[in-house]
Amino acid sequence: MYRSQESHSRKYRWIVTACFLLSPMLTFAQYEGYKSIADISSFKKEFQRESAEVLSIQSSFTQEKVLTALTEKITSSGKFWFKRSNKVRIEYVKPFTYLMVMNGDKMMVRDNQKENRVNVKSNKLFQQVNRIMIDCVQGTILDSKDFTTRVFENDRTYLLEMTPVSKLLREFFQTIVLKVDKKDYSVNLIEMNEPSGDTTSILFTDKKLNTQISDAVFTL
Amino acid sequence: MRCLLFSSFLAGLMSCASDYRNLQVSPADHGCAEKTVPRVLATSWYNASVDVMGRHLSGLLLVKNMPDSSQRVVFTNEAGITFFDFGFSRQGDFKVYNVIAQLNKKPVIQTLRKDFELVLGIPFRKGHYNRYVFGEEIYFGVKQKKETAYFITNKDCASLHRLEWGSARKRKVSVQFPGTGYPAPDQIELLHFTFNMQIKLSRIHKE
Repeated sequence: MYRSQESHSRKYRWIVTACFLLSPMLTFAQYEGYKSIADISSFKKEFQRESAEVLSIQSSFTQEKVLTALTEKITSSGKFWFKRSNKVRIEYVKPFTYLMVMNGDKMMVRDNQKENRVNVKSNKLFQQVNRIMIDCVQGTILDSKDFTTRVFENDRTYLLEMTPVSKLLREFFQTIVLKVDKKDYSVNLIEMNEPSGDTTSILFTDKKLNTQISDAVFTL
Repeated sequence: MRCLLFSSFLAGLMSCASDYRNLQVSPADHGCAEKTVPRVLATSWYNASVDVMGRHLSGLLLVKNMPDSSQRVVFTNEAGITFFDFGFSRQGDFKVYNVIAQLNKKPVIQTLRKDFELVLGIPFRKGHYNRYVFGEEIYFGVKQKKETAYFITNKDCASLHRLEWGSARKRKVSVQFPGTGYPAPDQIELLHFTFNMQIKLSRIHKE
């Protein structure tokens, strides 16, 4: 009994020592080539001000899902449209077809087999996904109560590391990382990191900001 | 009225009839069994469409052969979020690597486990089958607890027709591989007969 308590206490001491030694690394862990932004509130104002000028976005995207433990990845690509204030269309064209349109509280999803219409208000998860997507594009993500955010920068890019607060989102994401172009404050890359270590990155290319996009693009 | 009662009685009797009542036990035929026994599916990504109890779900399904001869089955949505990640050892042991809370319920996991065991042909790996004949088809059955897994071929053993899970009386699940490419089939169709569920998989040809 005494020996067991002693071994338990030795194990505990070892864990405490390991945590103590690793803690500086954890505290200062950040992204290579980026430095932390000290004055988040002025960045937030600037981010909101610049993003508010983006009325529409048209873009191509390439998505890469990496299953780390299985050394597998799948790459898909498609088109993305956004129109202020709450219209989004995401269309995967390769190597499968899949369409998602969000227009206010309504959402439509079309895959190979079926078309589904959902009232976002009726589903908490859809509601959160919808809000995150709109917040990211509109520059209001820093106000979101769904995440705590750290901000970093290099010469050309801001990096926003968002850690989910709610249990529901924490199940899906460990962090979501946004890379924002300093030139026009548009999102270049979204990286979704899952608790399992798998990642999905979406790279936006051929971005066109503030061009005319017909409302018909977002018809449900 | 009498006619209606009689036809209802007949319909009742028909619904009680066993799906496997007419299977005739026949001598073992190792040549035919070896030729048509389900093979290990090749590593592939599939476009998945799932209909269960009136609800529809789509996504991507990965069947991956691991270096230790185990297999992993991973389902993600199109945006890349993983819904489940199951492992099947060569001997048929099952492991849940990852599952979202909404699906983390024993009946759901057990159903998916049995479904993918059949798709992967795991019950047939021990190599001892009972042979039955019914009409123009040959059934090779492996009994597992209260259920039997069958792989079914035609009389000349030319090709694998389908796979089934069945209880003593009822057909419960069938799996077919329409199209070409087996053991990297272009299509996989799984259908449940005791409740409303079907899974359709179309192989993704990566560029």
